[in-house]
Amino acid sequence: MKMKRILVVAAVVGMVFGISLGAGAEQGVTDTEIHIGQWGPQTGPAAPWGSVARGTGDYFKMINAEGGIHGRKLVYHMFDDGYNPAKTKAGVKELQESIGMFAYTGGVGTACGLSVVDYLMERKIPWVGPSAGSLHWIEPPHKYLFAVYPLYYIEAKALCRYAIKNLGTKRIAIAYQNDDYGKNGVKGAAEELASHGLKLVAEIPVEKSDTDMKPHVMKLKQAKADAVLLWVTPIHAVRLVGTGHAMRFAPQWLSTSTCSDFPLMYKISKGLWGGVIAATFGEMPDAKDPLLMKYKKDAYGKFAAKGERWGLFYYAGIIFSEPLIEGIKRCGRDLTRERLVKEMEGIKNFKGIGGRISYAPLDLAEPYKSRQGMKEVFLVKCLKDGKYEKLTDWMEIK
Amino acid sequence: MIGFMQAVASGIAVGSSYALMGLAMVIIYKTSEVVNFAQGEMALLSCFLTYMALEFYGFSFLAAFAGALAFAAFLGGFLEFAVLRRAKEPNVLGMIIITIGLEMILLGIVSWKFGADPKTMPFPVSPYDSVAIGEVFVSSLEVLTFIVALTVMAVLFLFLRYSKLGVAMKATQQNTVAARLMGIRTNRILMITWGISSVVGCLAGLLISPITMQPYMMWDPMLKGFAAAVMGGMTSLPGSVFGAYLIGIIENLFGSYVSIEFKSVVAFAIIVLVLCIKPSGLFARHYVKKV
Repeated sequence: MKMKRILVVAAVVGMVFGISLGAGAEQGVTDTEIHIGQWGPQTGPAAPWGSVARGTGDYFKMINAEGGIHGRKLVYHMFDDGYNPAKTKAGVKELQESIGMFAYTGGVGTACGLSVVDYLMERKIPWVGPSAGSLHWIEPPHKYLFAVYPLYYIEAKALCRYAIKNLGTKRIAIAYQNDDYGKNGVKGAAEELASHGLKLVAEIPVEKSDTDMKPHVMKLKQAKADAVLLWVTPIHAVRLVGTGHAMRFAPQWLSTSTCSDFPLMYKISKGLWGGVIAATFGEMPDAKDPLLMKYKKDAYGKFAAKGERWGLFYYAGIIFSEPLIEGIKRCGRDLTRERLVKEMEGIKNFKGIGGRISYAPLDLAEPYKSRQGMKEVFLVKCLKDGKYEKLTDWMEIK
Repeated sequence: MIGFMQAVASGIAVGSSYALMGLAMVIIYKTSEVVNFAQGEMALLSCFLTYMALEFYGFSFLAAFAGALAFAAFLGGFLEFAVLRRAKEPNVLGMIIITIGLEMILLGIVSWKFGADPKTMPFPVSPYDSVAIGEVFVSSLEVLTFIVALTVMAVLFLFLRYSKLGVAMKATQQNTVAARLMGIRTNRILMITWGISSVVGCLAGLLISPITMQPYMMWDPMLKGFAAAVMGGMTSLPGSVFGAYLIGIIENLFGSYVSIEFKSVVAFAIIVLVLCIKPSGLFARHYVKKV
């Protein structure tokens, strides 16, 4: 009896001791593993952007195949949220409270990200490279949130600047998705035009459920726009350009990076995407960049699922995660969230397959400098068969 | 004035695809009083298989489209035979829930097999070439859709009114027991109805696919078609077509002159209004079920 009591006490003490030991270690990191999470729409209307999360997965597999990072393998947890913020939140909570992620990377959708940003930040969980160029990630800046995707806002500025200076356009309009994504474009365009003493000649909202674009095109036509910015989904962009063609309205179409996967856009628009100018944040799929070629060979070539396409969205999943991997590498064996933040803040002019990335210690007065990693984009023009012509070099927009 | 004319023309153009979906829903409702929410996805599967035949197996347009319609007829009949007929103690609500289940299964199959990247169907008529009437533009594909919608409506109208099979369909809806006593094989009639409805839905899908194809492409036309059918009274073929064009025109006029943001929801506001004023729909003859 006495023996039994001792055993029970020993077990309880052991459990308490064990738990306290566990609590001392960093969540999501063991001697051999680092757990990283991501959500991405594999089904639903935004599923074409689902390849972002798959790209990250294949990139992590490549790193593991090359020996991992300082003796640890990356364990990747990706779930399908169907571009539905409620599902994003439920999925992140489940991952965090069952397995416990060390950090998150990527994650398509402004609204999806917004649904979990408070949850992650309150728990001091690092999140690197949200897959949306929203101002929300840096306004206000968060200690544990590092944005990579150049702001839609600066893409709009870059496109307007190019249209005014290089194309001599004065009458610029925008067709924008009626949500945060689209409105970021409107804001950037309006600011850039104001600095040239101009105004948007039309701001046409597009609802995600809209399928008939004639009223939108009619309004653009009535506004006599010479150039039209497209801040919508790829399908809406194709419909707008197609309807414009049918209604004999042929402005210079200017598009955000979300529609800069030219081979895809050229095909689904039956060739009408030719001539469209887009901002982009990653090297072209066929660029001779040695790192891009290595990823194509070792991540995509060896690990991509059958039928996966080597397109911008796919390797955007790599671009958004590269700084996280760099930060983890810089931590060495001593991998904690606080150390990661410190190392991330030390990243300066890091060059992966996107634009240069720099962060700085958190400064509430300088959110753009301290937490917006990539600040440059370049412009490309779609040619026949979805080929690219680089119009500008990387442009840093202040 | 040109803006107004363009809005009306665009409304008629977009109304044609709603009309086809509305017709497809009305046919099934007329026979079984079931609202088939799988209508869009039945068409979706046929369209994606057609895309596969054209893009990967090099079928000719004629063979691929004829095959699509044949497959659609088979699919409609098969679903009725294999799923709906098996429902135990069927009631209308239960049947509707089954169609919602079928919708999700078919959508899942298409998403799984064809992935999420948008596609476009090769088609002999371009959706981006247009016919100009003065300053008013309508795309060639929309002209074709308009002709197809009116032809289908006329053929179905004549078929249901004058053919033996059409009359049997009506009889099955009005009183299944009496119809069976008169020697009508009501189960077979239901199966044929589903087949015909599926073919009409497939036509709508084939005429939407040349623009862009993705797994969710039939959801909006199906909802608008349903709205049109409700407006027309759910049992009237010309009613649903009229409703579809009305919705298309009002949507476009509303988008052009009032608010482009609420363009898509205006259809549903009209339905609420119509149902408040005339609950049986604009074209339905008042039908009282006797005990």
